[in-house]
Amino acid sequence: MSIPQIFVILSGILLTILIAWYFWFAPKAQTRAAVSESGAQEVAITVKGGYTPDVIVVKAGRPVRLTFTRQESSACSEKVLFPDFNQNANLPEGEQVTLEFTPDKAGEYGFQCQMGMLRGKLIVE
Amino acid sequence: MTIQDPVCGMEIEPQSAFAKREHMGQTFYFCSQSCVDQFDKDPHSYMMTSATTGFNPERTLTRIELPVSGMPLKEHSTHLESALRALEGVSEIKVNETAGRLEVQYDAQKVDVARLVSAVKSTGFQVGGTNIKIGIENLRCASCVKFIEDELKSTAGVLSATVNIATQEATVDYLPQKTTLAQLNAAIEEWGYKPRAATSDAPVDKQEEAHAHEYRKLMNKFWFAAAVSVIVMVTAYYQFIPVLRDLSMDSLRLLWGFTALLTLPVMAWSGSDFFTGAWSAFKHRSANMNTLITLGTGAAWLYSTFAILFPSIFPEGTSEPFYDVVSVVIALVVLGQALELRAKGQSSSAIKKLLGLQAKTARVIRDGKDMDLPIEEVLVGDVIQVRPGEKVPVDGVIVEGSSAVDESMLTGESMPASKKMGDEVIGATINKTGAFKFRTTKVGKDTALAQIVKMVQDAQNSKAPIARLADTVSGYFVPVVMILAVWTFVIWFAIGPQPQLIYALVTSVTVLIIACPCALGLATPMSLMVGIGKGAEHGILIRSGEALQTARGIQIVVLDKTGTITKGKPELTDVVISEQSSVDSDQLLKLAASVEKVSEHPLAQAIVDGAQAKKLEFVEVKDFNAIPGHGVSAKVEGKSILIGNLKLMNRENIALGSLEEQSKSLADDGKTPMFIALDGKAAGIIAVADTVKEDSAEAIKVLQDMGIEVVMITGDNRRTAEAIARKVGVTRVLAEVLPEDKANNIHLLQAEGKKVAMVGDGINDAPALAQADVGLAIGTGTDVAIEASDITLIKGSLKGVVTAIEVSRATMNNIYQNLVGAFFYNALGVPIAMGLLFPFFGILLSPMIAGAAMAFSSVTVVGNANRLRGFKPKFSAK
Repeated sequence: MSIPQIFVILSGILLTILIAWYFWFAPKAQTRAAVSESGAQEVAITVKGGYTPDVIVVKAGRPVRLTFTRQESSACSEKVLFPDFNQNANLPEGEQVTLEFTPDKAGEYGFQCQMGMLRGKLIVE
Repeated sequence: MTIQDPVCGMEIEPQSAFAKREHMGQTFYFCSQSCVDQFDKDPHSYMMTSATTGFNPERTLTRIELPVSGMPLKEHSTHLESALRALEGVSEIKVNETAGRLEVQYDAQKVDVARLVSAVKSTGFQVGGTNIKIGIENLRCASCVKFIEDELKSTAGVLSATVNIATQEATVDYLPQKTTLAQLNAAIEEWGYKPRAATSDAPVDKQEEAHAHEYRKLMNKFWFAAAVSVIVMVTAYYQFIPVLRDLSMDSLRLLWGFTALLTLPVMAWSGSDFFTGAWSAFKHRSANMNTLITLGTGAAWLYSTFAILFPSIFPEGTSEPFYDVVSVVIALVVLGQALELRAKGQSSSAIKKLLGLQAKTARVIRDGKDMDLPIEEVLVGDVIQVRPGEKVPVDGVIVEGSSAVDESMLTGESMPASKKMGDEVIGATINKTGAFKFRTTKVGKDTALAQIVKMVQDAQNSKAPIARLADTVSGYFVPVVMILAVWTFVIWFAIGPQPQLIYALVTSVTVLIIACPCALGLATPMSLMVGIGKGAEHGILIRSGEALQTARGIQIVVLDKTGTITKGKPELTDVVISEQSSVDSDQLLKLAASVEKVSEHPLAQAIVDGAQAKKLEFVEVKDFNAIPGHGVSAKVEGKSILIGNLKLMNRENIALGSLEEQSKSLADDGKTPMFIALDGKAAGIIAVADTVKEDSAEAIKVLQDMGIEVVMITGDNRRTAEAIARKVGVTRVLAEVLPEDKANNIHLLQAEGKKVAMVGDGINDAPALAQADVGLAIGTGTDVAIEASDITLIKGSLKGVVTAIEVSRATMNNIYQNLVGAFFYNALGVPIAMGLLFPFFGILLSPMIAGAAMAFSSVTVVGNANRLRGFKPKFSAK
């Protein structure tokens, strides 16, 4: 086995570990919702190739107000769905769209675009 | 009768009044022109007074109704009241907790609406009112924004106003009782701007427009990438091109350098979404289709560029570029996206059809003048004129006139409903015979039709449980494909044939490109969207993907008897004459109906209706007397008459003879017989019964043919229940079930291990509907049944149950096809791309073939979902 081949095999192992770590095991940054005057937990989310922020932490039993702004024209992200709360909204490009609901139970709930290419997570404490 | 002129207080006769005005459902009469003029200036200040006394003694006080929301009124109303009382000039506060409205009487000279609103808001409530968006043409100067805002805010009744220069729209919260759109428009015109209807209020059109725009953009990107691809392909396969094959390696390399530059704009423009999308995803520690395309094309470009810049560091024969892969793959995937978008547009046609039911304009009467307004401008409280043959534009209550209205599109009732003053009318229904005026109660997104559209849209965007499997898979899919691509490279490089580097690179790029998470992600939502839309077209409102999925596996359908199998309304079925009767059957019915007309018993109406259907005249009734638990007695045409049950006849010692036998056989048929005696002699029997809907038996037969067990549940006695069951072909009957036990009975059926659907008319069956795996509410699309059930059958027929199950089966089959197709595509495509077939058959995929396969696999999924649009139920909708 030649030196380049050994080098490639070792790189392969390293890359595998790196991919698995980066996409699955590394902890993700979380954004805690700010509580507004009216008592709702508010977060503004930008939709562009993904949701920014994409991991949102809120408290159970309080209304959550998520304002989405879609800054791209790709039809993929034109809808956002919260299947666990039966909430969804169309996101016209450049417009602020607000979704409001109250999560009652603690847990992790996913949100995503219609076909699931863009994903985010709502963590209810 | 005289009434008072509301302005001067003079007593006048309505017939001889100088003029008449209608304002918000009240009619006012005036003695003279000056009084009318004064009224017209501000009709609202004369409201809130009794229509009969007319005169308002406290003219300086203004009264306003504010819709408040945001918190439960019950607990916080005292807080709210004290905040308002603290304001000078507020004299009376009434809080209507259930309606969520606040009534304030205030002195307009001391306090204004804006201060009332801010006081309400300070307690944490929000003030409702109407929200409207008004477009403003050519709004360019930012400083004018503030002027327009101030002008709008100073208009009476405006709660808040914001102007957005980016969207060229003003958003105004206002109280429609206090101002009209025309006044708001006037405020904008004051500053020299031209108002227009806001564009963002028509979501469907807007989305369509956005789609058309996006489609054009994608096609432009495609054509550019395709044009570049042709050039790049020619240089890549130079061996086959006459002039190029004679060139030296150095000039070829120069030519390749030129194609390297050509592919740059393809990546930067045509493929820009992939690269930016991949980067955003990467920042979020996630990976998707964009990541795969970016890695594949990026790797091919970088390798190619290195190969032509530093050919010496590569082994012999491996320094040829792959720019063709870059441009062709991008062109194909972009084309795939464009085709997918076009196909998606077709899937949402159901919503367009529903919205098409709505009228476009309304003839609104404001200040005594008729005007045709676009439906978006109609406000709550407007009075609208509807002529025969026209559509009712929005929901409301009739204030003048009467007519028959065809409501079949929303309630499924095929007979036009007769409507008179005080009756509700629903938007999108068709006025048949008469003209009427109605006051609007719900407009815009609150109308019954809008609610239905919203419900269908929500359901279309909901998730079927089966989609979660696909979701879980696609969550791990992309990183797994990346790891597979890495190892494909490693293995080909380590043990593959020469030139190893080329093989390793081509196979790993092919793996990245052929893998298609999109097909997996699209499989369920596309079919769900078409399927639920198809259901809506046939009058079946499916609330969620979950309901749709469960309906497929239904094994038992439980039918409520009254109102579901039967019409739910008793009808006259038989008139029987005894041998010694002194009258014929029509005459007996006439006498009985005349008596029952006075009675308030629910069965009495059936007899009256029966007599009316036969065009019998009613006669005068004397000495009417209701005997509780027995029946009634009265005098008609000089005869004493008794109508009632067996107990009544026994009490009055009336010999029934053969009538008793006949009444038993009527009862066996599920009918309710009533004995009639004239002058102490048995004269006959009138029987009424809740009759079976014409198509119930047919629908039940089809359900049974589909392999579904049909069970009837009812609170009625067993004899009646079984009579009905025999008629419609149901063998299993749960009779004498108390309303509260219905849910329990459903539970018992579920305990047999079966999936149970319950069909009921919505309100009284709510617990049973909720207990069942799938609850189907039969009835109107306008009432609360929608909330209680998983599926609402707008058309009152049981055939809807069949269609609902058919829709569910067709949609779920379609979803399975899509999912299986998508799984197989990836499960076969990825190993082949890795070169699994190479050792045996020498088969390797070109990355370009992989790009085409990937692009068209998602188009196939959408296309297959669109096949559902051809779904035809067994029972046609019309």
